[in-house]
Formats: sequence, structure tokens, C-alpha cells
Amino acid sequence: MKLPKFLYFRPKTIEEALATFTAYDGNAVYLAGGTDLIPRMKLGLKKPMAVIDLKGIEELKKVRVENGTIMIGSLVTLFELSKTPMIKEKFPALFEALLFTSCETLQMRGTIGGNILQDTRCLFYNQSEFWRKAKGPCVKTGGERCHVIGAKECLSNYMSDTAPALLSLEASLKLIGIEGEREIPLRDIFTGNGVSPFSLRPGEILCQISLPNEVTKGGYEKLRLRGSIDYPLLGIALSGSGEKVKIAIGGIGPIPKVWEGKLEEIPSGMQKLSQETKAIANTILDPLYRKEMIPVLSQRLAKRVFGS
Amino acid sequence: MELIRVQFKVNGDQVDLSVKPYETLLETLRNRLELTGTKEGCGLGSCGACTVLLDGMPVRSCLVLTAEVNGREITTIEGLKQGDKLHPLQEAFVNHGAVQCGFCTPGMILTAKALLDRNPKPTRSDIIRAISSNICRCTGYKKIIEAIEAVAQREER
Repeated sequence: MKLPKFLYFRPKTIEEALATFTAYDGNAVYLAGGTDLIPRMKLGLKKPMAVIDLKGIEELKKVRVENGTIMIGSLVTLFELSKTPMIKEKFPALFEALLFTSCETLQMRGTIGGNILQDTRCLFYNQSEFWRKAKGPCVKTGGERCHVIGAKECLSNYMSDTAPALLSLEASLKLIGIEGEREIPLRDIFTGNGVSPFSLRPGEILCQISLPNEVTKGGYEKLRLRGSIDYPLLGIALSGSGEKVKIAIGGIGPIPKVWEGKLEEIPSGMQKLSQETKAIANTILDPLYRKEMIPVLSQRLAKRVFGS
Repeated sequence: MELIRVQFKVNGDQVDLSVKPYETLLETLRNRLELTGTKEGCGLGSCGACTVLLDGMPVRSCLVLTAEVNGREITTIEGLKQGDKLHPLQEAFVNHGAVQCGFCTPGMILTAKALLDRNPKPTRSDIIRAISSNICRCTGYKKIIEAIEAVAQREER
């Protein structure tokens, strides 16, 4: 499978990366591990003029602890992160989500930043150009109608395993762009629109993911057909310390859902959330089944973590 | 189109090439260096047939740009044998009938090598976890797992 033509740059600093992005007038993409971007380019879903490889920027590859916050560089690989003792000790939801992501070889290449900013997926979108041509463009590829629901709305699925875990842990992101630096809660990065799922400003680079340095209880449950190299058809992360728990749900629709409540409120809360969830036939599993698995997996997870 | 000069090692030999920026490591290995032991399966990173070692770590060569490997070291299946002697993993795959059509074998063996290099005494579940990165459509995996286990149990490799 061939890649489209592009130019390749490997800057050593964030400033240099931003300058390259500007020089190509925004017709450029950032490359981290490439496990999401390279296949999309091969399928003709992304045809940039320039690819800017961020792996030359060493400062994005470190995990640091400072003033009660754990700061994870966006280029730390999923494998490295899963082998970092404090992740396993303090954030079991994230630890489990890392182990559940794809397979070991891809975890060694894929980065935490890239995992968060992976594009949303759909049975009708992640196909070859030849396949898509026969069906005509969908909303995400610039068409007028979604092939599943027939309306001008994109409900492609956001399939990161780590993002729900990070949402349950109240992570925040440091972004550096042409207009400067900003720190936002992770949940603010999602737009809810499958066509362009992230609220990144042009050229912005995700540099760091921060987590409160506290010991939490938690876990991650994933609905999938195969035990390995599968995207979540539903992914549920739970974190908490004491009475209050936070549950984040990924894999259904373009934006993860976050719920907060007490342990005993999980059954009713999840039932309500399941009813409110809009799922469509854009994965290999029946949408109703995926919806119904929300309370099932959440309660299974709560029982496993808290024993009740 | 401006070519990019890359210098890296393949199986211990230094190579110096000018490549297209959008050329994958898989294309370079197979088409320029004639190292056709590395296979192209899906081309999208799902199957693991194109696995090679990059500084000892397994990577999908179909997802790596050759421009990215400047200054690095690559090991392909051709680099495992010592003289005329097969690598213990290659030998074990033959002896355990872990090879049928052979298409996944280079990737399987390199994934297994990387595992044994970082964890010389893996448990069965460590082995399953590592090779679940690679798809085999013939063997049912059992013989592959047994072959890797046999090598892991040997005192010297």
C-alpha cells in the first residue's frame, strides 16, 4: 500500500515545528508514532503537503513529577508509560487502558499524545479510496449525508482507550501553538462533531498531559471482538478515591461521556446514560447491544474495583 | 521531489541511501535492499507480517518512514542466522512445526526475539501477549507458542 506524496521534516524544537507548520500554510500534519496517521494517509483520508515528525523533540519524551502533578510528555510511548511504576500504583484505570490498547508492538510505537488525538472511526470512513468512491463521500469526507443515518451529522466513534481513563482521572492538556500556550481540561478538547473531533487551533501541538498526583482506585473495561489489536466498541474507565467515582465512556460517538456520582448511584446513572446515548450502525457490533452494555460493563467494573 | 539522505545499519551493514520522503521502511527493505524476508501483509499496521527490529524493538515497517530511521539500527529476518547456523528461534520454529505457509514467520520470530531479549524467561502469558501483535492464519498459534517456550527454557541461546 502506497503513501501519497509529501515532504518530511524533523524539527528539534517546538518553535521549529510551529514555524514549519506556518511555512506550509497549515497544509501540514504532525507525526508522532504514526500508527493512526500513516494508515489514514495510505487510505487517502489525509493528503498533507508536509509531514512534521515530532520525534526529534526530546523534551516531549519525559515523565516528571512537580508540585503534586504528574506531567507526561505527549511523545511518551504507551508501552513506556505502562512500564512506569507510578502509573500502575496510582492510576489503575490508565494502567489497564494502556494494556488494553491494540497490541504490544503498536504500544511500543504509539504515543500517549497520538492516542488522545487519534481521529474518529467509522465502517464507512476507514476504507480505501477505491471503496469509498463507489459509495460516494460521507459527511466526514465532505459529502452531504451520512451513509448510516442519512442526515448531515457525523457520529463516527472516538476509539481511544486511554482518553476515557484520563478523563476519569481529571487530566489536563498543555497545548502550544502559533498563538501561544494554553492549559485546558482534557474534556474541553472534544467538539462532539465527528467531522473535526478536536478543538485544536491551527498548528497547535499537544505537549503534555497532567494528572493530579494522588493514589486512585479504578479500572478499565473494553468491549471488543478479539483479545488483541482491536478498537473498543465500548470502553469504560472508572476512577475514584472514597465515595465519589468518575466514569468515562468511549467508543460510542465522537465524544466520550463523563459521569460523576456515588458508588450506589452507578446502576441508575448508567441506565440513564445508556438511554441518552446515540449509537448508530457504524461498527461491526449492533448499536443497541453496545448501548445496553454500558450499564453491564460499568457495574462489572465497579464490582471488580470496589467489590460491591 | 527532494530526496532525503539516510544512513542506518541493516543487519550490521551500514547503508547510505537517498529516499523519497514518503517511502516506507518496508519498501526500502524489500525493493532497494532486496531483503524480501520482510513481508507486506495488510500494509496498515494490523497484521504484523512486516515486523522488523528497530534498535532491538519490534516495529511495523509498513508504518515507519525510511526518513525516520536515520542513524538507527535495523534487524530483519535475514540478519538472525550466524554463518550457516540458524538462530535458535528459527530452529525451534522448524522443529516444532510452527511454520506452515511461512508468511507470518519472519514477523513472529522477530517479535519473539525482541521479547526474549528484554525478558529471557517469559511466562506463557508473556509469550501470548507479545505474539498477539502478529496474525497467523494457519497454525492456530499453539506450535508457535511452544517453539518460543522451548527456546526460553534453554539455558544458553
